[in-house]
Amino acid sequence: MAFLEQHIHDAPTSFWSKYVVSYDHKVIAKQFLWYALFWGLVGGLMSMLIRWTLAYPGIPVPVIGHMLFPASGGVVPPDTYAMLFTLHGTIMIFFFITPLLIGCFGNYCIPLMIGARDMIFPTLNMLSFWFAMASGVVLFASLCIPLGGAAGGWTSYPTLSTNIGQPGAGQTMWLISLFLFGISSTMGAINYITTVITLRAPGMGYFKMPLTIWGLWLTAILNAIFVPVLGAGLLLLTFDRVFGTTFFLAGAAATSGRGDPILFQHVFWIFGHPEVYILILPAWGIVSDLLSFFARKPAFGYKMTALSLTAITVLSTVVYGHHMYTTQMSPLLTQSFMTLTMLISIPSAIFFANWLGTIWKGSIQFHSPMLFSLGVVFVFGLGGLTGLYLASTSIDLYLHDTYFVVGHFHYTMAASVLLGGFAGVYFWMPKMFGRMMNESLAKWHFWLTMIGINGIFMGMMVVGYGGMHRRLYNPFIYEFLHKLIPINNFISYSAFFAGAAQILFIYNLFKTVFAKNYPAAGKNPWGVGTLEWEIDSPAPHYNFKDIPEVKCGPHEFGNPNLKTGRDYQYQTEELVKV
Amino acid sequence: MITKGPADELNHFKNSVAMTVTLISFGMMFASLFLGYFLVRFNAPAWPPVEIENLPKVLPFLSTLVMALSSWTFVLLEKRGEKKMLWLATFGLGVLFLGLQFLLWNALAESGILVSNGNVPSMVYAFTWVHAGHIVLALMLVLWLGHLIFRNPAQLTDVKLINVGKFWHFLGVIWFLMYLMLFVL
Repeated sequence: MAFLEQHIHDAPTSFWSKYVVSYDHKVIAKQFLWYALFWGLVGGLMSMLIRWTLAYPGIPVPVIGHMLFPASGGVVPPDTYAMLFTLHGTIMIFFFITPLLIGCFGNYCIPLMIGARDMIFPTLNMLSFWFAMASGVVLFASLCIPLGGAAGGWTSYPTLSTNIGQPGAGQTMWLISLFLFGISSTMGAINYITTVITLRAPGMGYFKMPLTIWGLWLTAILNAIFVPVLGAGLLLLTFDRVFGTTFFLAGAAATSGRGDPILFQHVFWIFGHPEVYILILPAWGIVSDLLSFFARKPAFGYKMTALSLTAITVLSTVVYGHHMYTTQMSPLLTQSFMTLTMLISIPSAIFFANWLGTIWKGSIQFHSPMLFSLGVVFVFGLGGLTGLYLASTSIDLYLHDTYFVVGHFHYTMAASVLLGGFAGVYFWMPKMFGRMMNESLAKWHFWLTMIGINGIFMGMMVVGYGGMHRRLYNPFIYEFLHKLIPINNFISYSAFFAGAAQILFIYNLFKTVFAKNYPAAGKNPWGVGTLEWEIDSPAPHYNFKDIPEVKCGPHEFGNPNLKTGRDYQYQTEELVKV
Repeated sequence: MITKGPADELNHFKNSVAMTVTLISFGMMFASLFLGYFLVRFNAPAWPPVEIENLPKVLPFLSTLVMALSSWTFVLLEKRGEKKMLWLATFGLGVLFLGLQFLLWNALAESGILVSNGNVPSMVYAFTWVHAGHIVLALMLVLWLGHLIFRNPAQLTDVKLINVGKFWHFLGVIWFLMYLMLFVL
């Protein structure tokens, strides 16, 4: 095995080169962190408006209502409601979760955890952030134009998203924004994949990488393969809207030709299903590592976990049809997709059992990252199990487009990923900023968030099973849904509760990062043996003075023969035989 | 600092990994377009539909020829010592290809085939637009190579030539597939 030479560059000196157009993966990671938090706030606020409208139809939104919706006296109007749920989905997926988990942790962790001085293509990395920035600017601008932003659902199915369903520039700007974001993601993916393949430190075999890196690497592979598929769909839809092609126009919507709206659904979900795993794989990786770190035990079945994640990555590419059972697919196809989808539960069950095996009889330290990781185990368990209901064609025909689906995908994509993201922020904060976040606030944050989000998503599953459809402005004009009003209000209260709990996090984060005279965290506050904990906190701009030589795996804990006085081994130490 | 193996070889390896991933990404995008083509084609009651009868035949054939020629000159550029003439030929053929595409769009419009005239014209226009967009991107890379060849030969490494070449040949192959699908088969 050969190793690339990595030079130590001089530290940037000016504000501009240090914080704005930085080539340093750690600075780019922080840029992505703030970017994600800004959008998370916007997207979160949108969800609050959505829940307010569902709990109090026709009542003005307090405080900000008159400012945002003066024409309707502070009430969210129906067309704005459609825009809100569309952009809530878009923002949370592409502008919050992706930058946080992949942009921030991908950038921060990959070079540090594999023992490299930076990403392999630092310029590409910088470009990736600025493309994301451009994309964010376009999306934000689309909120401020006459007719408002996109309102065809985050999936933007035609005919809803064609000029007939969506007059005005909002939808077109949405398409352009996501296309730019796709370019950014693809650039990032090319960088991550190549970095992991070529820059692993000597001795760092694939099966010595932390599982965080496994998750991020597999995510990058899915990104590189499937984001361009969405790109093609976005391009064609843009052509339909701007130049008058007829790919997705059918029936009365098309002046001529026989376009097919379903075609977009195919293209969207060929991308869209892997996208679900693009979002969750980094969180799985982080959790797999953290459970071992804080149970002070080697990760149970490390190799099987890595291979299960790989198997899921492969399977995720061939199951997209389960989003389209109600599109008059041939029954043979629905059955194939159903079988393939259910197959995913096998590798999922393997790594889930490995998680439980890891914490089994461990000496668990309930620090905040561990609490959030255990939270992921719980909510992902629920989300995963309800996925089996939806995978089954006959049940899905009833549940399709109900709040049961909304509850399910929020459990998997939102709750799991959010808690995984928080776990990551609390865990790597000392390495990123050299400071520990306040533990008691973090624990309050965990419990309040946990209670809140379970109230929301469990409630959603119940109303969904009761037959309430998603995306309705006022579902209670239907008499059969009247009985669901109380539980629907409960969901909204839970949402406000969970939303308010995030103030704790924001306060804690800002205080930790910006407060003067804050105590410094040591090199290794958590007592963990992966490479990034052997260098100073915050990590110096060149990461490693000497490229480390890796001699053992990332989870060497609790070995009784260790004579160092620690209960863990650094990855650079020769493995002590048990 | 640990370094084993010649630096050039390692640099080559890293860049070819990255280029392979890049081409897979671009390939998936074009593959999605082709998926659309096949769905439309196999669901059509008759093929070719009426509007495809009078599609121009000569211009796309010329484009294909030009594209193939430019790929050939690029291969020579990667191998031979005589770089300047070969670069000029490649770049010139690339620009000629773009010019031919413009003529093709004009010819289509003149014979009354507009973007909004249904599936087949939609595909002809959209596919050639997307491909031409990538050709513009590739021409910028070729220009950058030209800058190196004429102004800064010390910086011109094999890796750079080969990687831009891969992208150029890739677009050639994509064009050939598009030509077959849209104008021949």
